[in-house]
Amino acid sequence: MTKALNHQRQTRSAWIMLSPALILMMVILILPIMIAFGLSFTNYGLGVKSVDFVGLENYERIFTRSTFKKMFTATVLYVIIVVPFSVGLGLGAALLIQSVQRGREFYKTIYFLPVMASLLAMAIVWEFMLHPTIGVLNETLQGGCDSTVIHGLLTGSWYGADPLTSWYGDKCANGFPLWLGDRDYALWTICFIGIWQSFGFNMVLYLAGLTSVPKDLYHAAEMDGASSAWERFRLITWPMLGPTTVFVVTITVIRSFQVFDTVEAIFPDSGGPGKTAYVMMFAIYEKGIKQNLLGTGAAITVIFLMFVIAVTLIQRWFIDRKTHYA
Amino acid sequence: MGSICLENIFKSFGETSVLHNVSLEINDGEFTALVGPSGCGKSTLLRLLAGLEDLDKGTVSIDGRDVSGVRASDRNLSMVFQSYALYPHLTVRENIAVPLRMRQLSPSQRLPLIGSMITPAATKKEIADQIYTAADMLDIGRLLDRKPGQLSGGQRQRVALGRALVRNPAAFLLDEPLSNLDAKLRVQTRAEIAQLHRQLKATFVYVTHDQIEAMTMADRIAVMMDGEILQYDTPENVYNRPASIHVAEFIGSPKINIFPARLINPDQSAKLQIGVRPECLKQKNGEYRLKAVISHLENLGPEIQVQFILPGIDTLFHTRVDPKSSNRLIMGSTTELGFDEVDCHLFDERGYSLSPHKTREFLKTLKQSTLENA
Repeated sequence: MTKALNHQRQTRSAWIMLSPALILMMVILILPIMIAFGLSFTNYGLGVKSVDFVGLENYERIFTRSTFKKMFTATVLYVIIVVPFSVGLGLGAALLIQSVQRGREFYKTIYFLPVMASLLAMAIVWEFMLHPTIGVLNETLQGGCDSTVIHGLLTGSWYGADPLTSWYGDKCANGFPLWLGDRDYALWTICFIGIWQSFGFNMVLYLAGLTSVPKDLYHAAEMDGASSAWERFRLITWPMLGPTTVFVVTITVIRSFQVFDTVEAIFPDSGGPGKTAYVMMFAIYEKGIKQNLLGTGAAITVIFLMFVIAVTLIQRWFIDRKTHYA
Repeated sequence: MGSICLENIFKSFGETSVLHNVSLEINDGEFTALVGPSGCGKSTLLRLLAGLEDLDKGTVSIDGRDVSGVRASDRNLSMVFQSYALYPHLTVRENIAVPLRMRQLSPSQRLPLIGSMITPAATKKEIADQIYTAADMLDIGRLLDRKPGQLSGGQRQRVALGRALVRNPAAFLLDEPLSNLDAKLRVQTRAEIAQLHRQLKATFVYVTHDQIEAMTMADRIAVMMDGEILQYDTPENVYNRPASIHVAEFIGSPKINIFPARLINPDQSAKLQIGVRPECLKQKNGEYRLKAVISHLENLGPEIQVQFILPGIDTLFHTRVDPKSSNRLIMGSTTELGFDEVDCHLFDERGYSLSPHKTREFLKTLKQSTLENA
């Protein structure tokens, strides 16, 4: 009797103590998502008097209109390109830094600089460098055209190829691309900036992962006959970095889905020439904030959340199944 | 098929000299223990032999071939690490297979997926058979599909041994393989490793700080201290004929008693030190007698370890007595302990052992003169 009462009292105080955390979690995390989910079925806009329930209309539009098709294309391409390069370069830089005897701190700082710098400011610098006429890049490329050695090497005319069939030869003759202003190059350029900006962060994560690989394993591998660097990498480094890699890939995927500031800084009005760089976050911003179509913005947000949740679930599955050794 | 020769090895890490002029010769099939206190350079010596460290000076040869500049993977040695260094992402079977795959398969056969397809079935079977033989020898057959994280310390140790002995190396190097095991398992595994050595008849080099492991397993013991080998001999000789006080004190538990003494006779006067093993001290018996004050008693069951002091000397001495003996010892009481001439180890002032000839000569005069507490 008293035991049951005691138990009841304990349960009650447990709930009381839990409540602040639960309430905060509801208000800050769950509720906004629920509201966004609710709004995505309406035509709500800030200050609009009448709000109508429009059902799946917002979603239907997202999946049928060509603008949104471009949005998905740009976002997915961006993620597919940035993630492997950013992760690969991060790992490569980490391995190289680990292998040097001197100047580790120097290289770490250099590679980490783009991460620390504001992407917004850096985007402007890139915009300047990539400027079609006064930019450093095109000027350098143009300079190469006049040098017979560089021109010969890059176009292949040295070994008898027609210079016009190569990319460099063609551009030397017909002018270099506008980069950010060019439909064919805009998204790739944005991707390049994204990789440049994010791989330093992955490098730091990989460096941390590398410190936890026991030295003895490398010695054991050496004794077992794994003499090449590639064998050691395959036998030890790569598997031991498994948990780090899962984390790095997840973080990079999510951050790539969230790319916004580069696009906003470089293409504030349009989302790129022909909307080729019209990424999801930019679409949410444009629809939801600029055009006050909160319903549409909320619908894109919900789809975005789905992506992120899917990525996170895959990560959890990997960590539970594949890379947990302890 | 596995003789090892280390000649005039020098090694330092930065400013600290770790090994100075170490030479060691290990015969084929011999079980050699490198023993010494921590920091004496024994592990470094093993790693130099393995090729995991570069030597500053000297030569390492295996089977008469100079391998000083040869990298570890090409020296054909196997090693068991103190941490076991098992690959955590591989199963026990895969762990044991690594040295075989690395040496019996071509690089393309080791590729994931494709490699397995282009490897001839005969080679695969050969590798599988070798794994089973090793697993049987160590009784780990039922663990083959587990990962190291699912094994106990003792099982991991066996897997590490299995990975070392699955192929046929010139020698096995073991770096304190028992130090992570509990006391009971250590005693058991000690016997098993000695048994493995008898079975394989291969060269073993075993690094340990535990003199009992060295004494019980090795054919020859190299006692190391401060980067030098003080004595390299059979366990019996290291125990019964220590080359110096340091060796005498390191080998044997409880520690050997060192009595300071002075020789007084008409021709010569010399300070020397007499070492007597605790078990050689007898109560109220022996050719030479000492008055001892008992300061502490430890009853271990089969024996009682006695700590005693001698008047005027600031050192604790040890002896052991049979609990069944008629003379009961009482803490704080004074008793008479004695030892015989044959049990004496004589060391000169600097701690070096006197030659047998000199010892005999000195003991002769000792009988005539007095044994003094210096």
